[in-house]
Amino acid sequence: MSVRDEARRDEDPSDQELVESGRSGDDSALDTLVRRHHAAAYRVAVSLVKEDDLAQDVVQDAFMKAFRALGGFRGDSSFRTWLLTITANEARGALRRRGRRKETALEDAGTVVSEEMGPARAAIVAQEAERARRMLAQLPEKQRLSVSLRIEEGLSFKEIGEVIGSSEGAARVNYFHGIRRLRELME
Amino acid sequence: MNDPMCGTVRELIPDFVGGRLPPRELELVERHVVDCGDCGAELALARVVFASRPMAPTGLADRIAGSVAAGRSQPARTWWGVSAAAIAALALGIGISSGPSMEAPADVPAFAYEVEEGDVWLSDDGLLAGAPLFDVLSDDALLQLLDELSVTSAGGSA
Repeated sequence: MSVRDEARRDEDPSDQELVESGRSGDDSALDTLVRRHHAAAYRVAVSLVKEDDLAQDVVQDAFMKAFRALGGFRGDSSFRTWLLTITANEARGALRRRGRRKETALEDAGTVVSEEMGPARAAIVAQEAERARRMLAQLPEKQRLSVSLRIEEGLSFKEIGEVIGSSEGAARVNYFHGIRRLRELME
Repeated sequence: MNDPMCGTVRELIPDFVGGRLPPRELELVERHVVDCGDCGAELALARVVFASRPMAPTGLADRIAGSVAAGRSQPARTWWGVSAAAIAALALGIGISSGPSMEAPADVPAFAYEVEEGDVWLSDDGLLAGAPLFDVLSDDALLQLLDELSVTSAGGSA
């Protein structure tokens, strides 16, 4: 099941419909938006702050901020892109308030290993995954986010540009530079 | 990587590993990587990145939903409460504030959360060798860079 499938099944209401319901005071619509997008927001946050506890606070603050501003959300971008942009900015704000960057504790965030694998294969995949995460963490922020958002969340380069505050072209270059650098690091 | 198909396939790889491709493009990638070691290596890397994506901690969604619900159920402040807070804030502000606040603005703009004044990415982009600031480059320069990376600038689902 893909990330988008995890986030949304066809029969479910669209984000835009949920946003409209949320604006009208439907708390369950907001609840659905939280459950649909919290994992992607968490991945963006932890990619930037590199610490599980802080990333969770960042995601919570991002949702609160987004929902408070829901009345003014025009839908020029998708709710998902808008939320991830807010999350990235909240993460940067959290780091700035903290005044330093924490380079540890990424290991706190569990990774996805399929339960269908045998234990030996799962151990190898987990090891590879941990190494990939470490290498990914070495990339400059915009390259790291571009790679994560493109591969893990399936965002287009235009959407990635909105999240990282760059043009579509710059997002594309950040992604391919990141991939090239990652391949060098992994070799 | 001289095959012109490589550029197209490299654009599709992220959606391939995420299970987001329609059957026709799925097959195109599968057929191409059989004979192209370079794209095969990139596909393997993308698979590892996708598999290594962090999971949200259990209970995070409940925690957020709880905060949201609590925030929505708070009664509106009475006028005297607002006045008292305003007077207190004014008194503090006169004594303390002499410039723009560094805190994030309370309101989120309609489209996106605007970057604060004087804000910069806390990135090492541009400080590390090999991490140029792509944002300042023109579209032509970006296209040239993509050429050097052997990637088409159009096509794909991105």
